[in-house]
Amino acid sequence: MIAAVLLVACDDIIEVDTGTSEPVLNIDAWVNDKEETQVITLTFTQDYFDNTSPVPGVRGASVTLTDDQGGVYIFQEDTASDDGSYRWRPDPGMSLGRTGTSYTLTVEYNGETFVASSKMGRVPAVDSITFSKQDDMGPRSNEDFYQAEFWAKDIAGTGDTYWIRTYKNGSLLNKASEINIAYDAAQSAGSEFDGVTFITPIRKGINANDEDEEGEPVSSLDPGDSVYVEIHSITLASFNYLNEVIDQTDRNGGLSELFTSTPLTNVSTNMVNLNANGSPVVGFFNVASVSGLGRKFR
Amino acid sequence: MNKSHWKWIVLILSILLPRYAYTQSKYTIDGTVKDIANGETLIGVNVYVPETGQGTVTNAYGFYSITLPEGTYSLEFTFIGYDKVVHPITLIKNTKLPVDLQEQSSQLQEITVVGENEGRSLNIKSVEMSTNKLDIKTIQKLPALLGETDIVKSLQFLPGVSQVGEGSSGFNVRGGSTGQNLVLLDEAPVYNSSHMLGFFSVFNPDAVKDVKLYKGAIPAMYGGRTSGVLDVRMKDGNSKDVEVNGGIGLIFSRLSVEGPLIPEKSSFIVAARRSYIDVLASPFLDGDFGLNFYDLTAKANYTFNQKNRLYISGYLGRDNFSLSDDAVFNWGNKTATIRWNSIIASKLFANFSGIYSQYDYKLGFDEDENNSYDWNSAVTNYVFKPDFSYYISDKSELNFGAELTYYRFNPSRTKGVTNGEAVDNSLEYKYALESSAYVSHKLTLSSRAEVQYGLRVSNFRYLGAGTAYTYNDTIPGKRRSVLSETYYRSGETIASYTTPEPRASFKYELDANSSVKASYTRTSQYVHYISNTTASNPLNVWTPSTNNLKPTVSNQFTAGYFRTFEGKSQYEASAEVYYRQSNNEVDYINGADLLSNRYLEGDLLNGKGRAYGLELYIQKKTGRLTGWVSYTLSRSELKVTGINRGKWYPTRYDQTHNLKVIGMVEINKRWSATADFVFTTGTPTTYPDQRYTSQGLLIPYNSTSSRNDQRISNYHRLDVSIRMEGRTHRRSGKERKNHDYWVFSVYNIYARKNAFSTYFSQSDDRAVVGQPIQAEAHKVSIIGTMVPSVSYNFKF
Repeated sequence: MIAAVLLVACDDIIEVDTGTSEPVLNIDAWVNDKEETQVITLTFTQDYFDNTSPVPGVRGASVTLTDDQGGVYIFQEDTASDDGSYRWRPDPGMSLGRTGTSYTLTVEYNGETFVASSKMGRVPAVDSITFSKQDDMGPRSNEDFYQAEFWAKDIAGTGDTYWIRTYKNGSLLNKASEINIAYDAAQSAGSEFDGVTFITPIRKGINANDEDEEGEPVSSLDPGDSVYVEIHSITLASFNYLNEVIDQTDRNGGLSELFTSTPLTNVSTNMVNLNANGSPVVGFFNVASVSGLGRKFR
Repeated sequence: MNKSHWKWIVLILSILLPRYAYTQSKYTIDGTVKDIANGETLIGVNVYVPETGQGTVTNAYGFYSITLPEGTYSLEFTFIGYDKVVHPITLIKNTKLPVDLQEQSSQLQEITVVGENEGRSLNIKSVEMSTNKLDIKTIQKLPALLGETDIVKSLQFLPGVSQVGEGSSGFNVRGGSTGQNLVLLDEAPVYNSSHMLGFFSVFNPDAVKDVKLYKGAIPAMYGGRTSGVLDVRMKDGNSKDVEVNGGIGLIFSRLSVEGPLIPEKSSFIVAARRSYIDVLASPFLDGDFGLNFYDLTAKANYTFNQKNRLYISGYLGRDNFSLSDDAVFNWGNKTATIRWNSIIASKLFANFSGIYSQYDYKLGFDEDENNSYDWNSAVTNYVFKPDFSYYISDKSELNFGAELTYYRFNPSRTKGVTNGEAVDNSLEYKYALESSAYVSHKLTLSSRAEVQYGLRVSNFRYLGAGTAYTYNDTIPGKRRSVLSETYYRSGETIASYTTPEPRASFKYELDANSSVKASYTRTSQYVHYISNTTASNPLNVWTPSTNNLKPTVSNQFTAGYFRTFEGKSQYEASAEVYYRQSNNEVDYINGADLLSNRYLEGDLLNGKGRAYGLELYIQKKTGRLTGWVSYTLSRSELKVTGINRGKWYPTRYDQTHNLKVIGMVEINKRWSATADFVFTTGTPTTYPDQRYTSQGLLIPYNSTSSRNDQRISNYHRLDVSIRMEGRTHRRSGKERKNHDYWVFSVYNIYARKNAFSTYFSQSDDRAVVGQPIQAEAHKVSIIGTMVPSVSYNFKF
């Protein structure tokens, strides 16, 4: 159809001057119960189009995690890297966190105190990972498309919230379009899927979204790739936060603007400045328990 | 209902009505005005009595009634595009006077869009203001996207009407949202007036007789929405001959058949449209992606006798959006209207309407029998609407009636199967009853002054069976959570609201060519359109006012100056100002979950609205070159606690300047051309000024928490269309029975990439650890090129 060609929406990259403003403290604190060094990153916000400077790290802050069982975990500044990382290394065989425990993060910087709390939720095990050939990629692609799917069952009882994070060949898939979160076994509280196997979009939400140079999608998997799926328990506040992040970052452009163009707003934060009139702060704190499973695609 | 309002009404009526109680030897002339060629009743025909300087207009069914003292008169009947008819009459008793008008026959004159050769302009004479009537012939002349004549798109050329952008559905009237417009098709409310997202509207121009838009000074007979009223009336169907109209375009084809069923008694029209395969198909998306639609519009009428006539009309339309083999997504409206007109007495015209309307959508994914998801949602209503017009004298008309609407909302019925385990999480239906009564009196005070005043009282009951929730208070702008819930049995009232809605308009003629007018209108809206995106989309739901969600109430004040210029050519000009203020406007928290959410109300925010503007309009009505210039200077704002730090911010459809220029020229008997130019200020948007990363994702941050303080680039475009009439005679010299024409058009002739939206995101490339993430700003143009088209249209 001639008409078909004519109605193509276009999506162009443009130059916009968004100005400059005062940097704000950003606390990126997602820790978990894996037996590995836990990192909390303190940085400053940058001008929106500062695409070249490294992210400025925060020096000289004090970062302390406490739990309601009397545990204290002091995160030490990584002065060598100077990128705002504050680390805590568990003793061998130990890890941070126990399901059901409440944690409080306290960050002291420049005479101000910022706090947040998070309760560690429960996670189900990942039962298996399967691979399949995708047959609905349309007539335009000649190549074979493969995708992975994980199988797990939400724990019975409503209100469990999870973030499914996937590593392909050891690298975390962290595009905005790859954020895969679940409320019980589905994508929102309203769906009311409790205690059942995760629904299809979540099970298949572990695949990489990549395109070739022409912008055509490429297969998420090729023989030899490995996939490692982790389920992280997150709080309801974190779940809501990640939904806001999806709204604000996962933009497909083009005609989808007719559907998904919610107004630009600031995503929430659970960090609180104890001085209500003090400096603003952004970022989020969550303590997760993690289950995981990997498999290689042959 | 406030008691003082009743006192006020009773007082006024008691002063005014007795003046006409002692009428001595007055007689009534009444009748129906029709088109002589096809028997269509004509709406809005001007009936003028030069001897008294007074007159009336035919109503929506072509009926008029005028009461005059005994005497000799020459009634003048004038109507756009028709030859004037003068009927001398010696009035010594009540008289039936049916009138047939002849369409101006010459090709050249026919195309003269609004060649009213009336000696007086309704624009000056009528108390009506803030309304626009678009003639279907004018609509057909306007260059349209892909050559498809479209009623809603044509409204964009009127002052005070705007649209967020191409492809967005609906239209905005005087700073109101699209969901605040009452869109009526033969009185049935249409809940989604768009096909193919927003590229086309549901009205088939072949079946439409009359289109009228009320932007302010809304008559008391209309209610239920706080912004504009678009009243679309369908053709009755040719009662003289069988007539076939059709057209073949690039996107869809149209065909309509109309004709008599029983001579002099009954006629029908059936009109259908069907788009071709998947028009917005795959060039930019893979797979089986496509979009198509069809619709069917039908109507029939039966005349029992001179006093009683029955009409049945209906609409059925469906859009299909195919995403992939195992996905279903479709939506559409269904409406049906049964109307009975009765001339109870020559002075008393009654109409009883029974109306059904439904909008629904279905969405489904069916991977295999163990994994599927089906979801549907709908709003259904049943309306009963008796309406009476009492033509007291040539100086006084009373209109009164009632409207009862029963609503059923299906927020979502969903059934999911995951790995063989089925989950039904359908939400409860919601029910409501809206009842209104209204009275409106139009009174000529002097040869120059006229007033129309009235009152509509509306009551809304949110009914059981259903669960009512109460929510906690929280930080403004955050999700509220449920404190308690109460179950109500079927028919129990959960929440009830009553709104008195006074309406008043006043006209004063300064001289034969100019008048000033002013009006006040209060309107209320009990059903809310929930949409948090720039453009509305088919999944957006309607939800009733409840114990939590209050009805929106709006007050609009208007004033205007109207003028005609007589001379070699006829010009009509107007300047209007308006101020609209509203309460309980709906907005949304960040991250609002609007679909299939039991606790939707916890995600809604409540605010105030205000809009004001100036509308200038000048139209050249006669001659070889006709057309108009419309300019609107306006502002539309909201104030919602939790958004923009609680300060006023412009709505997404706010446009400071809005200019439209339309010119139509007759080249010769066969060729005519139309051009239009549109300029609007870019709509508001929000920019981030800072950024940060959260778990490797680039997050935009607005350090001032502002909303809509920036603008996307200005919008402008030029369209041109050329129409070629088919030959009227065969080579042999015999006249051709059928009539046909071609329309060649180019939309957006200088191919401007007008922005629909600007958005910010990180580059789609996979971020490299340790490297700064690349931020990008994108401009989306829905139609970023010029669009040529051709269509062939025929009639026989």
